[in-house]
Amino acid sequence: MTHSPQDDAGATHSAHIDCEATIRRLWDYLDGRLPEMARAEVEEHLATCAYCPPHFVFARTMQGALAASTPTAAESEEDRLRERVRAALRRLADDAR
Amino acid sequence: MCPVSHREGDSRFGVDTTSEFERLTMPFLTDVARFARSLTRDEVRADDLVQETYLQAMRGWHTFQPGSDPRRWLFTICHHMFLRTIRREARYVDAPEDDPELDSMATAKAHWHAMDAGVADVVDRMDLRDALGRALAELPPHYRTVVVLIDVEGYSYEDAAVVLDIALGTVRSRLFRARRLLQDMLFEYARDAHFRTVR
Repeated sequence: MTHSPQDDAGATHSAHIDCEATIRRLWDYLDGRLPEMARAEVEEHLATCAYCPPHFVFARTMQGALAASTPTAAESEEDRLRERVRAALRRLADDAR
Repeated sequence: MCPVSHREGDSRFGVDTTSEFERLTMPFLTDVARFARSLTRDEVRADDLVQETYLQAMRGWHTFQPGSDPRRWLFTICHHMFLRTIRREARYVDAPEDDPELDSMATAKAHWHAMDAGVADVVDRMDLRDALGRALAELPPHYRTVVVLIDVEGYSYEDAAVVLDIALGTVRSRLFRARRLLQDMLFEYARDAHFRTVR
């Protein structure tokens, strides 16, 4: 099915989009940044396509793992850093007075 | 929140001002430290960056707008201090402003080839958290900062644009490119792991 921009302007229904159009929207879709109609078009395509869903699933998995990938410091290290910063701030304040 | 008059003049560093500064900013030290570690990928450099961030914040405390978000303000300063360091070390390269959706396409194509070659199966068995931590360390800083703010710290595109002082479109293009590069690195690690297994 083909559609023109005019169709989109006043459209109340989603249009069929192909794999390329769907994949171009991959990150915008996963980041929740697509308008409602564009989002519905992606979901409609994903529901019937054998090619696209694995890419979306993998991208989502990677995003989830990224959120947990940051190194965290042990509490004692953080306390030490907090004290170090406080001491530096005190020195700065003393020097300025 | 304290009125601006408390922070004026050279009572900038008065006891009350310092206490107020610490009261509003120290609760975010954990967040700033995590951001600094994500940017530098090095504990010593990260601690230095946190200290520099807080000192710079204290010096500029009179510019802080009462009622605004101290965390975002600290992240902005932290990013500036980080850029200053890497520019000094001449490792900063400006990102090209390509069509971000082409990166979405390339990401999916690379995944398709990886599935075809069996590499995606290896990735499924990898500790993705560790692998991505390693991949983040290898990303050029201007891509790493965007992906850390949005995918790790949970910032919106708009807030990331404020912190990094770049256009919204640049946030989007760098983010998509960063994710593509991260995925490419994951497949590279998987190919290496597969090679070691079958050798």
